[in-house]
Amino acid sequence: MVVKIVQIILSPILALVVGVFFLGLARKIIARIHWRHGPPLIQPLIDIIRLFYQKSVSHGRMFDLGIIFSLAGSIVLVLFLPLGRWCPLSSSGGLLVILYIMLIAPLGVALSAGEGANPNISIGISRKFILSLGYEVPLLLVLLAVMTHYKTISIMEVVSVQQSTSWSIISFPLFLSGLSYFLILPAILGIRPFDVSSAPQEISSGPMAEYGGKYLALATIEHAFVLFISIALFVNLFLGGAANPVIFFVKMLVVFVLGLCINAVFPRFRIEQAIKYLWKWPTLLAFVGLIITLAIRS
Amino acid sequence: MDRNQITKWFKAPAKMANKYSLHVIYFCTGCGIIEVPPVITSRWDAERFGVIPVATPRQANLFLITGYVSVKTLRAIIRTYEQMPEPKYTVGFGSCPINGGMYWDSYNTIKHLDKYIPIDGWIAGCMPRPEAIFIAVTHLWTLIDKEMANGYVKYRENYEYYRKNQEKVLGKLEWPPLFPVSDEPRGNVQ
Repeated sequence: MVVKIVQIILSPILALVVGVFFLGLARKIIARIHWRHGPPLIQPLIDIIRLFYQKSVSHGRMFDLGIIFSLAGSIVLVLFLPLGRWCPLSSSGGLLVILYIMLIAPLGVALSAGEGANPNISIGISRKFILSLGYEVPLLLVLLAVMTHYKTISIMEVVSVQQSTSWSIISFPLFLSGLSYFLILPAILGIRPFDVSSAPQEISSGPMAEYGGKYLALATIEHAFVLFISIALFVNLFLGGAANPVIFFVKMLVVFVLGLCINAVFPRFRIEQAIKYLWKWPTLLAFVGLIITLAIRS
Repeated sequence: MDRNQITKWFKAPAKMANKYSLHVIYFCTGCGIIEVPPVITSRWDAERFGVIPVATPRQANLFLITGYVSVKTLRAIIRTYEQMPEPKYTVGFGSCPINGGMYWDSYNTIKHLDKYIPIDGWIAGCMPRPEAIFIAVTHLWTLIDKEMANGYVKYRENYEYYRKNQEKVLGKLEWPPLFPVSDEPRGNVQ
């Protein structure tokens, strides 16, 4: 019982630390790829401290509550994800709950930012939801394939079966699904080439346009959580989880750096190009993967 | 960052964080913008100082006004400045915002920008080299350390003076005053 409570308190903190570290690492690695020196590794932390000390302008009650709502959704979601053998809420839920709670984070940001009544925000939110329409289809197919293959909805069981046999990214029908998940990972994270919703040059950073001070700090923390969750889900489903959190974070780091290399060199898609891409290759791969899995398993 | 700064971080985290996380909104009124892209990209890499460009005034805390300021852009500059959350710093870039520069006898430009919004520092020159922005940033660090970069406090305290100067050039302003003004109600103040 005590161990459980400690885990429930510790895992969001760990997720936050790792997420903020990833944000710093992203800026450093992108700088090195651009042949620059880059900011110090703790630059996002400095930014967050600065933003918390700044005065901020609120645009209404929902503006305050929405961002907290989205942050709460992300923190709850972390509790359902196994970090290594750690999983505070392993006995309940599973992949279906994760699918549901994953929607809360963008919804909260949309509710909060929509209160700002800035045209750039409206465009950003609509782009965000169109993009999530794009990646939710392959994501659902991928998760269906995983659930069919292991005949369970519990993410903990998926991890333990993979540890006794082999990672699903190198097993036959599931590597298609794994590849598909990796292809939509930038879209889930909202990084280039899929940063259509937060494009600073086109729509003044979209939903973030009216955020300043504490709101922007909370939004940055929220972004760190989203970064952590989507990569942790990939590691759990396809890279076989890990025996302890340290190895887990190393696996996450590898996936993240691979994603960053895509992020650093590609320009931004337009929204219809993004949808065209997402509904073509990743969906096709995920669909074929699901069909083969069904054929083998039935 | 060297090791003897750690105690400073614990003593005054707000001051240190303000120093090392300057998010800049560039107001490109005229010629000065051509010096900014080399500063923020690979050639001079402003990000190693924690200086990055942001898209909206709400996220920024450093306002860089480059080049001459015409009457029309002054309106936008004031609105942008008032939207930035405190604490905020302003730097004028080039000789035109200082005293009019080569536009000293123009009918359509502002000669002294610091009559309309408070300026924390100037970069003189026509045009200054991109490195001058880094010199300005390091000077701004010193000013923040000594609590001398208090333009936003001055703006709050002497708002009536600034508002009067703004109205002298722009006529009646269509936005309500940022801080309460004591004399007769004007504009859409209730």
